[in-house]
Amino acid sequence: MTTLPLSLPTAVAAADAAVAPAQGMAGVAWLLVALPLAGAALLLLVRRPLERVGPIIATVLSWGSFVVGAILLVEMIGRSPEARAQHLTLFSWLPVGTFSLDAGMLIDQLSVTFVLLITFVGSLIHVYSLGYMAHDPDRRKFFAFLNLFVAAMLLLVTADSYLLLYVGWEGVGLASYLLIGFWNWNPPYASAANKAFIANRIGDFGLGLAIMAMFATFGTVTITGVDRAAQAAGDQAGTMLTVIGFLLLLGACGKSAQFPLQSWLGDAMAGPTPVSALIHAATMVTAGVYLVVRAHPVYDHAPVAALAVTIVGAITLTMGAIIGCAKDDIKKALAASTMSQIGYMMLAAGLGPVGYAFAIFHLVTHGFFKAGMFLGAGSVMHGMGDRVDMRTFGGLSGKMKITWATFLCGWLAIIGFPFLSGFFSKDKIIEAAFVGEGWRPWVFGLTTMLVAGLTAFYMSRLFFMTFHGKRRWLEDDHPHESPASMTVPMIILAVGSVALGGVLQAGGFLDWLAPVTGGHAGAAHHEPVLPIPVITGGTLLLVALGVGLAWARYWRADVPVTAPAGSWLTRAAARDFYQDDVNHGLLVVPGNALVEAATLADDSGVDQGTDGVGRAVLGASTRLARLQNGFVRSYALTMLLGVVLVLAAVWMVQS
Amino acid sequence: MSLMNYVYLAIVLFAIGAATVLVRRNAIIVFMGIELMLNAVNLAFVTFARMNGSLDGQAVALFVMVVAAAEVVVGLAIIMTIHRSRRSASVDDANLLKL
Amino acid sequence: MSPLALIGPPSATFTPSEVSYLSILPMLIVAGAALIGVLVEAFAPRAARFTAQFAVAMLGLLAAFAVIAMRAPAMIGVTLSGAVVVDGPALVFQGMVLLMGAAGLALMAERFGGRGPDAFTPSGSSVPGSQAEGLAERLGTTTEVFPLTMFALLGMMLFPASGDLLTMFVALEVLSMPLYVLTALARRRRLLSQEAALKYFLLGSFSSAFFLFGAALLYGYAGSLNLGEIGRAVGTVSGRGGLLAAGALLLFVGLLFKVGAVPFHSWTPDVYQGAPTPVTGFMAACTKVAAFGALLRLVYVGLAGSRWDWELVLWIVAGLTMVVGSVLSVSQTDIKRLLAYSSVAHAGFILVGLLAIDRAGIAAVTFYLASYGFATIAAFGIVLLVRARGSEATHISQWAGLGRRAPVLAAGMGLLLMGFAGIPLTSGFTAKFAVFAAAVAHAGAAGVVLTVIGVLSSAVTAYVYFRIVVLMFFSEPGGAPVDVLRPSAGGATAIGVGLLTTVVLGVFPAPLLALAASASQFLW
Repeated sequence: MTTLPLSLPTAVAAADAAVAPAQGMAGVAWLLVALPLAGAALLLLVRRPLERVGPIIATVLSWGSFVVGAILLVEMIGRSPEARAQHLTLFSWLPVGTFSLDAGMLIDQLSVTFVLLITFVGSLIHVYSLGYMAHDPDRRKFFAFLNLFVAAMLLLVTADSYLLLYVGWEGVGLASYLLIGFWNWNPPYASAANKAFIANRIGDFGLGLAIMAMFATFGTVTITGVDRAAQAAGDQAGTMLTVIGFLLLLGACGKSAQFPLQSWLGDAMAGPTPVSALIHAATMVTAGVYLVVRAHPVYDHAPVAALAVTIVGAITLTMGAIIGCAKDDIKKALAASTMSQIGYMMLAAGLGPVGYAFAIFHLVTHGFFKAGMFLGAGSVMHGMGDRVDMRTFGGLSGKMKITWATFLCGWLAIIGFPFLSGFFSKDKIIEAAFVGEGWRPWVFGLTTMLVAGLTAFYMSRLFFMTFHGKRRWLEDDHPHESPASMTVPMIILAVGSVALGGVLQAGGFLDWLAPVTGGHAGAAHHEPVLPIPVITGGTLLLVALGVGLAWARYWRADVPVTAPAGSWLTRAAARDFYQDDVNHGLLVVPGNALVEAATLADDSGVDQGTDGVGRAVLGASTRLARLQNGFVRSYALTMLLGVVLVLAAVWMVQS
Repeated sequence: MSLMNYVYLAIVLFAIGAATVLVRRNAIIVFMGIELMLNAVNLAFVTFARMNGSLDGQAVALFVMVVAAAEVVVGLAIIMTIHRSRRSASVDDANLLKL
Repeated sequence: MSPLALIGPPSATFTPSEVSYLSILPMLIVAGAALIGVLVEAFAPRAARFTAQFAVAMLGLLAAFAVIAMRAPAMIGVTLSGAVVVDGPALVFQGMVLLMGAAGLALMAERFGGRGPDAFTPSGSSVPGSQAEGLAERLGTTTEVFPLTMFALLGMMLFPASGDLLTMFVALEVLSMPLYVLTALARRRRLLSQEAALKYFLLGSFSSAFFLFGAALLYGYAGSLNLGEIGRAVGTVSGRGGLLAAGALLLFVGLLFKVGAVPFHSWTPDVYQGAPTPVTGFMAACTKVAAFGALLRLVYVGLAGSRWDWELVLWIVAGLTMVVGSVLSVSQTDIKRLLAYSSVAHAGFILVGLLAIDRAGIAAVTFYLASYGFATIAAFGIVLLVRARGSEATHISQWAGLGRRAPVLAAGMGLLLMGFAGIPLTSGFTAKFAVFAAAVAHAGAAGVVLTVIGVLSSAVTAYVYFRIVVLMFFSEPGGAPVDVLRPSAGGATAIGVGLLTTVVLGVFPAPLLALAASASQFLW
């Protein structure tokens, strides 16, 4: 192993100076985080007077963040491409001896892209929630948590060091548990929050270790510092970079619901629907992709880790799509689709410089159309007595015209209908997957292409089962369109689903990102192993096939109200490929044991199963605790033995 | 006779005191063991004062006596309350707090 | 000249020692408040006692702190012929002891609407359940805890400022003896409380004897009790190396007992569990601060020159303390015991910073103690509020589902536990980072090894703390219902300060780190 010495206090700090210090509006970039954070604090601390106006304040503050982000973008576009990244030092955070870490913000093309996505979609969802949560007695708290989430997410994407990023990372985790478990003191919901908690802790543990490894290897944890050090060390530090890459991937898998930590996402759908739209579609779950792209200098020099990212992406996108085909719960089907789409992004990010910009491109367009569809699903549920089983929907297009129209836009976008958002972004990824040598382009390229067809099938299935075909409503259903506060955000997101891809493509979004993601321009030199028209044509053909099949089975034919048994594949997919059973062994049992160990007093409870290390520690603990037998004389004996050993050590040293 | 012998005597007394703490059950006797340790230290201090030709050590001995007296007050008070509530002065009976 | 010269060298001239009254003014104020407290106890009418005692004690503490805050630069100096050394570290530690003492006192004074402090028995000497106890309960005020606390605080202030070993011993005893008594005064579960006091007293005096014996050996080695003199004697006196090394280590035994380091920690869990909860919080914070202050002075002023003799032993002790403290906390089922083992583990982390033997280490230790002290008082304050059938619900299972019943309180406890675990943006993270960075930078390979052990141990303790958070927020309440009492303004302030420092020292640690660094120069 190439060991870099533990060069802790080396003056890497000097290298951080390369990014220009903030000027102009970037100086107030801290408002991005401060506004929603202030909102959360206000709503949590001042209670009674804000029960009514609190939600509105929270929404206004969220839009405030968006305005700040928009101004930053305008300013940034005004500068030359090389000078667009700016660094804002907020305060000296950890001045410990010779090591000094400032809390600061890195405002570059990547972070501004995320800022705008988060604040725009986030604010729309605030507006939507004004309608959706109008009758909830605890809505002040709900909006406080929403604001807290937006603040933490913005901190995550604007942090200038991995440590500060970690703070935001934990913050979004905390806010999402609060929101998933919001309604819900009833056991399944609490257990969903619990599962998300454990899966995320595993991921967070990976990220924490990655940061420690960075600190030990490079002596710095700032993003620019690590970039520089990773590039400077290059392949010499290959082993350490690979380790760091794998640890970061573990973190990304936890947060972005990638294989093998994906199972919590479906259960997290127990939370209120706007939460699913915001956290589990548009923002938090994409943090893993952000992390991988942000740390791309690490992956550039760690090809094994990058390949692992691609493989994880490929597995997840396939799995997600198959699970999506088997789910009857509209939100769970959408969750599976999210998982699959993020798999696309991860795969792209793992492809290296060819794919980073495409990953972000797809992330942005997906944020719009998936959030829009989640809001649409919320609107449907709103009209159907909060039910989620699609087998009892059907034929809603007549009763909920706006919801139907917006959902139609989202559906067309995600299946990659020509010249809609998804067409541009997903096709780019499929093309990029075909680039390369040896077995990889064929495996990854064909996977992404086939799954595009599968995506078309399960999304069409969802769309047709909900809005078309025969009405399979329950007797007391009276579907109705939702209020304007809910439909307007849906319409805006639908417009985005239709147009955003084309606009960004035409506006040179990919080149704009290039200074951060590194050498998108170089992608031009790599030709896919198949001609591009063939790839596009093949994808479209598969998509058409998928839609056609879904039309035949779920629109034209009658959909049984109770789910048929189905083939083994359907059954396996409907059960998330037994991931829950696997996880039950891997995550839930230790998790429950953790709670039980906390609850039970007696030795038998304490000895009950936890996994290896945990059991060893617990065993050591119980055994060691026997020394603490309550007899004061034995305590005195311990002390005296200590004294004797200490003196014996002295005697040995002296003689 | 070398003055060091007094130091050795102090060490022996200290060890006897420590052994008393370890082997006796009655809290009063345990406490007496501690007192013996303190007084062994006094002997050491006085001897070192003599060896070093300074009076500091003797002064320390006086301080230690005062502190030991104060300790007796606190200690006996605690042992008394325990004895009154448990009808036992055995340190092994006070064994509710453990693990 | 040593203070003991008063007793008279053969020359008959009597020279009174120089006293800089400003330097010792805070200690004089606290001593005065303690003595007034004794008089109030004797002469004030029963009804007025609580108010008078609380006011005297709190004003004394705040006045003493005000003196330090306003006149610190002018106070620095060696006074009382070297017996008391008031320097940067001494003042910082005295300031911390005073503020934490005030927070602890506010919790001790918590009455929950009753007449006397809720946590203390009105009659410590009566038999539990006897008629005498009932009578005392009816008459009852329990105000002797205030002067006792003040005397303990006096010892704690003198401890880190003591310039010679005799002063250090006297300070050690002055701080310990009131604590022995306070430990015995719990109102509920009195048998446990008395047992804890007996254990604390016996083991405490046992360790004092070792401390004193170490002092005797060092006196034999250097011919002086003054720490500066001892420091100068190291390396110049030859042929008595055994006395130096053995003496140093025996002194460490006495001090390591007070900070609760392994293998001298066995009293900690029992005493923390048995003592009245506010006293536990007070002890956990203030005793640790004072003892580490004394340990720093002993190591950096008196014994730095002989570090080769004892360094290895202390490294092992620090490593063992972290490992044993964190591993043992895993199987605990009583929240006070769990916090006790966590305090053992924290003592190990602090020792790592201390062993850097560098000014960065002093600053790191100071910061760690500040962040840990306030947080731990607040944590025990929260334990004080959670009740089942009147007495404290200390079994962890009783905390299940607390997040539902008392979300604010549970969130506060969660925050404190995150701080203890060292999650970024809490004070605990900064503190751990500071001690480990100091150790890695200045203690060579041992520092790196200890840091690795420390990081692993904190992963284990993090598991323990998360377990409680999971229990509070994600599990069903079971068994007997738990009540949460509403604290008075004073108690709420003490808890609030702990929460606030956990956040503020995590987000903006720079000012305190700078203060600690600028006040890290020892005098002698």
